[in-house]
Amino acid sequence: MSDRGGFEALDACVHCGFCLQACPTFLATGDEADSPRGRIELMRALESGELAPDDPAVVVHLDRCLGCRGCEPVCPSGVGYGRGIEAARALLATKRRPAPLARAALWALTTPGPSRIAYRLARMLRATGLPGAVAGWGRLRFAMGMLAATRPVRNAEWGVRSPRVTADSARRTPHSALTTVLLFRGCVMDGLFSHVHDATMRTLEVNGYAVREVPGQVCCGALHAHAGLREEARRLARANVAAFGDGDGDEPVVVNSAGCGAMLKEYGHLVDEARFAARVRDVTELLAARGPRPGAPVDVQVAYDPPCHLLHAQRIADEPYRVLAAIPVLRVVSLPDAAQCCGSAGLFTLLEPAMSRAVLAPKLASLRTASPQVVATGNPGCLMQLGAGLAASGLRAAARHPVELLDESYRAAGYYA
Amino acid sequence: MITAGLVEALAGIVGARHVRTAPAERVTYARDGLPTHRRVPAVVVLPGSREEVIAVVRLLAAHGVPVVPRGAGTGLSGGALADGSAVLLVLTRLNRILGVDPKNRIALVEPGVVNARLSVAAAPHGLYYAPDPSSQTACTLGGNVAENAGGPHCLKYGVTAQHVLALEVVLGDGRVVELGSPGGEPWGPDLVGLFVGSEGNFGIATRIAVRLLPLPRAVRTLLADFTSLRTAGEAVSAVIASGIVPAALEMMDQSCVRAVEDSVYAAGYPRDAAAVLLVELDGGSEAAVTADAETIQSVLREHGARSTRTAADARERERLWQGRKKAFGAMGRLSRDLVVQDAVVPRSTLPDVLETIARIAATYQLTVSNVFHAGDGNLHPNISFDGRVPGLKARVDAASTEIMEACIAVGGTITGEHGVGLDKLRYMPLIFDAESLTAMRAVRRVWDPEERVNPGKVVPVHACREWSGIGTRNAERGTRNPIAPSSSTFPIPTSALAP
Ligand SMILES: Cc1cc2nc3c(=O)[nH]c(=O)nc-3n(C[C@H](O)[C@H](O)[C@H](O)COP(=O)(O)OP(=O)(O)OC[C@H]3O[C@@H](n4cnc5c(N)ncnc54)[C@H](O)[C@@H]3O)c2cc1C
Ligand code: SF4
Ligand code: SF4
Repeated sequence: MSDRGGFEALDACVHCGFCLQACPTFLATGDEADSPRGRIELMRALESGELAPDDPAVVVHLDRCLGCRGCEPVCPSGVGYGRGIEAARALLATKRRPAPLARAALWALTTPGPSRIAYRLARMLRATGLPGAVAGWGRLRFAMGMLAATRPVRNAEWGVRSPRVTADSARRTPHSALTTVLLFRGCVMDGLFSHVHDATMRTLEVNGYAVREVPGQVCCGALHAHAGLREEARRLARANVAAFGDGDGDEPVVVNSAGCGAMLKEYGHLVDEARFAARVRDVTELLAARGPRPGAPVDVQVAYDPPCHLLHAQRIADEPYRVLAAIPVLRVVSLPDAAQCCGSAGLFTLLEPAMSRAVLAPKLASLRTASPQVVATGNPGCLMQLGAGLAASGLRAAARHPVELLDESYRAAGYYA
Repeated sequence: MITAGLVEALAGIVGARHVRTAPAERVTYARDGLPTHRRVPAVVVLPGSREEVIAVVRLLAAHGVPVVPRGAGTGLSGGALADGSAVLLVLTRLNRILGVDPKNRIALVEPGVVNARLSVAAAPHGLYYAPDPSSQTACTLGGNVAENAGGPHCLKYGVTAQHVLALEVVLGDGRVVELGSPGGEPWGPDLVGLFVGSEGNFGIATRIAVRLLPLPRAVRTLLADFTSLRTAGEAVSAVIASGIVPAALEMMDQSCVRAVEDSVYAAGYPRDAAAVLLVELDGGSEAAVTADAETIQSVLREHGARSTRTAADARERERLWQGRKKAFGAMGRLSRDLVVQDAVVPRSTLPDVLETIARIAATYQLTVSNVFHAGDGNLHPNISFDGRVPGLKARVDAASTEIMEACIAVGGTITGEHGVGLDKLRYMPLIFDAESLTAMRAVRRVWDPEERVNPGKVVPVHACREWSGIGTRNAERGTRNPIAPSSSTFPIPTSALAP
């Protein structure tokens, strides 16, 4: 970690502008101050002291950054935008308290005690079916749509047929030697998407991995880091390293949330734990490394929408397609501009609703044209944002994690019999 | 004068959200793609329609306030910068493709449409927009028109001027004129030709009708590498002399190749080569293009290519091109700051000029990388440096000037495609005498009598007429491109531009 706290990652910017069209907020407003290049200009001025961290215009335009890092993989000069913006946000945080809504959300979603209650209440509300019924565009109705999108869905519900194959082809795992992997549970994933964790464990086992639970793990700290609360993020990071690091401590850590995975892979920079970071794998990486094993046919049309923190931050592009390709008959339809963010970006959808919806709009327009039955994406925020957006705009499609689809296919194949 | 009342009136036209007055916001517009120039505009306005552009320009004219148009700000001559006395008119929101007419192969676009997006929109009709500046994934067609942008494939297909059919232009006083005709049949003087390349000095283009071309049926892309810069330069002339016109003929030197290979756009160029050439051939039939490719390959080998290779498929071709097109950005890896020059020399002088540039770089102890449109003799020496080192910037400026003088000495000129803008004002007197500069200014004043649109660019005003030093010497040597002084009653037709 350098003494410039991450700002040095911006030095390489030569103002070429190649990142402009990759930036969802620039596309939404056309304003240089909402572009990566413009924000880099602001961040450099922040570092040099030319602009103050409490300058309202600086705050507005840096707050409007999704942190999607769509600007990174297109940058020929190798600018580390993500590290720069986190440094800048930490600097802004020295001059202000995070928005009350952000504080409240962090408290309710990531602190062990309160979050358990919050998630239980949320699941109860979800079970009433009310959130799905009222989902819409207003702030509250959109939030309801997001909650509704966390509900486990079965193929049958959206008219997909997956013929059950005869039970004797069922073999739980063809691999004799199991590789042990440690499951990272996270906060939102654990509270609202435990069915994705179940699917993750089942599909990994079919592919020769023994999934072990790790006690003592906590939230990854991504939401804190994005909010500029670096110290809290570091505290969480150290707790996770301690939890996962015992024993020989070199088993892969499997993550099914792109946002968490990206954060865990950043622990090298954040707390100097490069060895831990190197162990982190997205679930699709592990599955793709084994094929994965083909399942039974599922007759469904799927659009894959890559989470920014998978595609841009972790540079994982092909593996999710390989997972979907293991499902016979399933058809993948392509989305134009799929690499663009959906506007979820952690707490962004709650804190910057106007920009978030503006970024979501073109995504929904291309989904309307492609009209898939399922939108597959491997991140809780994206699942909720897309689910709520689909519901609000009356599109009949479900947002689901790719491993859920593989799980259905394996179940139909009788692998779990 | 820019008053609070004026700012309010601007907000009344475009909406308060689209008027930027905070210092932090204005600072983000202080540079373009050549970050060594920096000017902070007084106000930034982002209109959302041509009607708003017209209303804004009229309002500013009534207040006598200068206006500077800006597209994506990828220009490489400081052209899109406005100082504290002017309003910056940002056209990125005017980004609609108004229509693609596949029968007549015409597209009508707003000026903020990004170059590459037009080709994407035309692709379903089997068409594309040919001029392909390396910045095409970022720059706007309005900026292309203003700079008469070129690109790798302009060797065969011509630069922007050859592809613009008609324009709607808002003049400095807010009047709207239409130039040319989408049918492409010119009548009267070629005003479209005059406007294209005017660097925002003649008015603001609000609608652009361009020609689309059918996508070539067959394409071959060759990569050749050389162990010396001189041989590569000589091979360029040999390729042209073969009589085959490549679609593109680009050159990169070792330093550039290594920067690209270190970047996400790594294309598999050999890192140990002194230079590589990228040659593309295209045409109507596979057989013809294959034959051409074979001929060119043997020409390259005969002229010292260490090895040549052909892209196996569309994917590899794309990779070879992406490496070339992102090269400028990739050179950002070499050092904190980067300036790029743009000069044209007679193609046959390339080997000598490249050696001269290397010598200048050595004298000033600077890293100079070359990536350029070799087929046109359009050089782009890039100088990498760290602007924080005291005195270094002065050395870079001195080396730049010396490079430019060397190019002029062999019969070259000071810009191929990046324009004069602010950056090359200082070189204008090196190639134009006072009379020519005065004439240019007179032409500009026909369009913009008050010099209110993008003031202070292109023609160094101090050098007109009263300035005589180098100008006279050039006049004795025979000045290039003299422009006859024009009368001040230039006819501007207002014929209809049918959408
Ligand atoms: C990496 C990189 C590679 C490049 N490669 C090439 C190349 O291969 N070939 C090439 O020719 N150039 C190249 N350029 C330069 C630049 O991209 C072009 O000059 C481009 O045309 C500028 O477009 P822009 O939208 O960014 O214009 P800006 O930079 O915003 O403006 C450029 C000029 O156009 C004027 N202008 C903008 N819009 C209008 C309008 N609607 N009406 C009137 N005037 C207007 C501005 O006032 C300014 O003077 C490159 C630049 C970069 C950064
Ligand atoms: S692409 Fe990279 S170097 Fe170019 S402007 Fe964007 S961040 Fe800067
Ligand atoms: S992180 Fe995303 S929103 Fe932020 S500047 Fe980069 S591309 Fe734009």
